[in-house]
Amino acid sequence: MAREYRTLKTEVRLPYEVAYGATWTRFFEGLKDKKIYGTRCKECKRVLVPARSFCPRCFVTTDEWVEVKEEGTLVAWCYTNYRYFGMPIEPPFVTGLIRLDGTDVNFLHLIGGFDLSNFEEVSKTLRNGIKVKAVWSEERRGHILDIRYFEPV
Amino acid sequence: MARAVAVVGVGQTHHGRRMDVSYPDLVREAVVRVFEDTGLSPKDVDGVVSGTMPSMMEGVALTHLYFAEAMQAVGKPILKTETCGSTGVSIAHTAFYWVASGMAEVVLAVGHEKMYEGDSQATMTTVLDPFYQRYFLAGAPGVFSMQSQLWATRYKIPQDKIRDAAAFISVTHHQSAFDNPYAHIKMKVTMEDVKNSRIIVYPIRLLDVCPNSDGACAVIFASEKVAKRLGRKVAWVKGVGYRGDEQFFGDSDKVVWQSAIEAAKQAYDQAGIKDPLKELDVAEVYNPFTYQEMIFYECFGFCEFGKAPDLVLRGIFSREGELPVCPSGGVLCTNPIGATGLIRVAEAAMQVTGRAGEHQVPGAKLALAHAMGGIDQFNGVMILGSEL
Amino acid sequence: MPRKVAIVSVAQIGGADSKENFYDQAYRVVKEALDKAGISREKVGCVVTAASDIFHGGISCANAYHWDPAGAVLRNGSRQDAESLFALVYGAMRIMSGHYDTALVVGLCKGSENPENDTCTLMFSDPFYFRPLGLNETMAAALQMRLFMDHYGITREQCAKVAVKNLRNALGNPYAHRKGIYSAEEILASRPVVEPLTELECAPKSEGMAALVLASEEMARKLTDRPVWIEGFGTSLDAYWIGDRDLLQGQLTNAAKRAYEMAGITAPWEQIHLAEITEPYAFQELLWYEQLGFCGPGQGGKLIDQGVTEKGGLLPVNPSGGTLAWNPYVSRGLHRAIEAFLQIREEAGERQVHREVKTALVHGTHGFAGQCHTVVILGS
Repeated sequence: MAREYRTLKTEVRLPYEVAYGATWTRFFEGLKDKKIYGTRCKECKRVLVPARSFCPRCFVTTDEWVEVKEEGTLVAWCYTNYRYFGMPIEPPFVTGLIRLDGTDVNFLHLIGGFDLSNFEEVSKTLRNGIKVKAVWSEERRGHILDIRYFEPV
Repeated sequence: MARAVAVVGVGQTHHGRRMDVSYPDLVREAVVRVFEDTGLSPKDVDGVVSGTMPSMMEGVALTHLYFAEAMQAVGKPILKTETCGSTGVSIAHTAFYWVASGMAEVVLAVGHEKMYEGDSQATMTTVLDPFYQRYFLAGAPGVFSMQSQLWATRYKIPQDKIRDAAAFISVTHHQSAFDNPYAHIKMKVTMEDVKNSRIIVYPIRLLDVCPNSDGACAVIFASEKVAKRLGRKVAWVKGVGYRGDEQFFGDSDKVVWQSAIEAAKQAYDQAGIKDPLKELDVAEVYNPFTYQEMIFYECFGFCEFGKAPDLVLRGIFSREGELPVCPSGGVLCTNPIGATGLIRVAEAAMQVTGRAGEHQVPGAKLALAHAMGGIDQFNGVMILGSEL
Repeated sequence: MPRKVAIVSVAQIGGADSKENFYDQAYRVVKEALDKAGISREKVGCVVTAASDIFHGGISCANAYHWDPAGAVLRNGSRQDAESLFALVYGAMRIMSGHYDTALVVGLCKGSENPENDTCTLMFSDPFYFRPLGLNETMAAALQMRLFMDHYGITREQCAKVAVKNLRNALGNPYAHRKGIYSAEEILASRPVVEPLTELECAPKSEGMAALVLASEEMARKLTDRPVWIEGFGTSLDAYWIGDRDLLQGQLTNAAKRAYEMAGITAPWEQIHLAEITEPYAFQELLWYEQLGFCGPGQGGKLIDQGVTEKGGLLPVNPSGGTLAWNPYVSRGLHRAIEAFLQIREEAGERQVHREVKTALVHGTHGFAGQCHTVVILGS
């Protein structure tokens, strides 16, 4: 058994200030107004959500804005009930990939609106393919959590 | 025709919880071993390329500076390659292209990580953008849970079958780790142990996932001239491939996973491989999660989509099977992220040169090494063979 | 004989604080370079990006975030950390290997989204020894500057003259944001930082994104009628422990030697017509002159006194304004390369030097007191 020596406990915390830019400002402002915006690529015709300034595949500017339905189909989900340092969401919580109606990529967000404390119960409620609908926060500030979660319909 | 390049030797640390050494000393352990293995010395090295996972993992940025001495890189030409979890294979690619370009005869590649000095889940969350994805993905397990669900649903694979196949894989790799002196987790596990272990993110349980490990790996790549001069069996680089998907997890299909399929295809085309299941003797696949491992088998063309669990349960990918996967125990038993991809390359090289000791696959001549990175975003492949 | 590699198109943006989204800026720059070369992202052989997590807006695994705007989705690519000239060298080697005919090289550094340079470079320090002492690049440079002046009798005025020259040259550079006509006294009277360095002798924090398309000889001649050839390159790494090093005889000499050998340069002071070098601290430009072989040891001060390295001099250095005027840490090396490219092609507008530039030297450095150096020789 190799000898162990001292350790130094230290934390690193660094300040950053990140710019939204035009496209994302419009997308997040949209959330304040209970609107989910996507953009359509003129070449591949896909509607991408969240809204993008360019299509990553066709590599052209996407400036056709589409107000996307706040309902969609649950494509995949996962249940988190453990902790790590600096977690932004209190566990337990469910994250899902949602194909919002009329879009061509999956949207990542929380699934909620029912008791999440017991995984067995959750797995009875959630099934891939069910319909979900956005539930908005009372107070909205242009933040991804202006959508509180997506609730099974 | 491009210059031939070979892996002429490898070195690894004893991976695991290495609080007995400082980070530079850990790196040095692997570097010393690769020089011992090859009989070369630092003065023979024309260039060094190193890399690791994000600087926030251990809280030191630009680690090639910190490890200049540990890597014996002082006074040497240097490059620094980093591509998240796929770093280890990207480092190998850098060394390959460096020698292939004619700008070096001998290149030392070093990958390293000291995960016990950091908080891996917290660090991995910082990979996600702060506006959108960072809120929703609690480190890696959530992502892989969703990916396996998508796969199971698409091919209508019964939950039980997948659960059994994943457990089978876990048992196989944990068993193999006993034959690898450098592996981290050496634990006897049964199918029941796996299926009853603590849930992480459903359906993934503790024994379905990789550990955090400290470790480093050093591999020397060299030209044909040097390889011949050394007069030992070497592992020739037969093919390389790499692809990355979009940044947003929801933008691409992660089941018929294009970056994995195309990275492998690029490498197969270069190596002239048409039927990987038949032609490969060993596959050191990047496998931190048992469920996801099966998706790689399918994307790499080892079997049809949706069929991997069947082949797993038939033992096709076990040690004595048609295509042994990760006889080293794989990432499932050892995962110092910045080194892990390079360890796959080292293990593949060891196999085709008959130097894998207790976990040697008899007669192995052609091996695949693979690493994945980001949130199911990047895939890199290297094919190594015993014949030029 | 290794394949020849050329730069066929370039694009860059930069400034202090654009308030634009990183993604949008990166996409524009990359698209511009591709469009100028007349090549689509699907046709480019591979993509090599350069960015560092510590300089990347708090987003780790920088390549995961910037993959899309770098045009790399479902392409073969990779990322270099710390030094964007590493990406240039790596991209060139991929082409030299024969496995690719073209490569897109991208450098991304949005300083406005990062902490101060001093905060970031403190993170290069190990946690036990250097970091509690606060060793960052500025402190290391100050130590080196003190040694430089004491050993050779270089004066503070001579060091300040570098800033005078570069900040004046920067007036012609739309991307540089620290610019103006200063006297040496004004430079020396600016706020002291780490003695003997003053604020105007230290590079600012900046935004910068660069994209270049590289091509093999055959492809280059198809894509442009004025390729700029990569004639040589070299990198070299010094020891980490600062007390172990000779801070006045660093690894730049080795990096330059490797580049010169490859390019067939035996008399740099004659054969180099222009140099774009990375001088995060004003005095370092003088020290780099010496290690690049433009003059003998300790003679850097004389060189600037004689005006040799002025825009109108025999060997103009940093007609772009260099790093003192514009410092996006990771991408700065590529911005040096882009300036050299433009100067060779006589496309540098009001920054264009008068003498003919057939061969230019490009230099990047990072780490404490120049722990790591990269030199690239470009030629027409």
